[in-house]
Amino acid sequence: MNENLFASFTTPMMMGVPIVVLIIIFPSILFPSPNRLINNRLATVQQWLIQLVSKHMLSIHNYKGQTWALMLMSLILFIGSTNLLGLLPHSFTPTTQLSMNLGMAIPLWAGTVVMGFRHKTKASLAHFLPQGTPLPLIPMLVIIETISLFIQPVALAVRLTANITAGHLLIHLIGGATLVLMNINPVTALITFIILILLTILELAVALIQAYVFTLLVSLYLHDNT
Amino acid sequence: MAGHDSGTQHQFTGIKKYFNSYTLIGRRNYVLLTYGSILMIILGFKMRKPKKEVSQK
Repeated sequence: MNENLFASFTTPMMMGVPIVVLIIIFPSILFPSPNRLINNRLATVQQWLIQLVSKHMLSIHNYKGQTWALMLMSLILFIGSTNLLGLLPHSFTPTTQLSMNLGMAIPLWAGTVVMGFRHKTKASLAHFLPQGTPLPLIPMLVIIETISLFIQPVALAVRLTANITAGHLLIHLIGGATLVLMNINPVTALITFIILILLTILELAVALIQAYVFTLLVSLYLHDNT
Repeated sequence: MAGHDSGTQHQFTGIKKYFNSYTLIGRRNYVLLTYGSILMIILGFKMRKPKKEVSQK
């Protein structure tokens, strides 16, 4: 663990040129565009995956909500693939950067809110007051609901950032501990290595779950506003 | 989560027809009233400040 703990979270450079844009674009290369009726295996698996996810995610939406199908599917594929690629050793994960996650969360959340206010102004305003609220609590609850609305994009972004960053830090720490312990006590190093394996499996699951949670929450905000 | 109210099971009369926490219209009006009150309070404080400075001089 000679390296700085936060070295993997700094902007990646190649010969002095930042390559973060290339890294963000890279996962799209892994998803081929199907242009035939019957495709090769990779494209077929991709199609099956997208159909499976879209069937479940879009079933709650009406016609207006289903116009967001492409956006939501792109979002889950992008975040999922970025998170999974970030588990490769020495790679840079764009979703560990709060700036990037805020850049995804704020426009999507704002889009759903603006859509709600445009098409269902009365219902959108009425959402700030839960049904059946007693009279003395009304002003306080309106303020609380307003704050909770504006917290939504921040929570979306911070949740993804914190989960992925924490997982990577843990892997880094436990991996470093395993290396150091190998010369001191091989048995303890073996236990630490087993913990590292289990943690990596957990991080694989977290990578996919966080992509699903992000997209599901955006989908729910959309459902509330359509 | 609070859902939509068809408004048929609640029969309000008078001011309660427009300000209640059950119908969509009632809830919307309460929300607008709350925001309007906050705005009035802020404007009231902003307009008071120059008067205070003039009286101190």
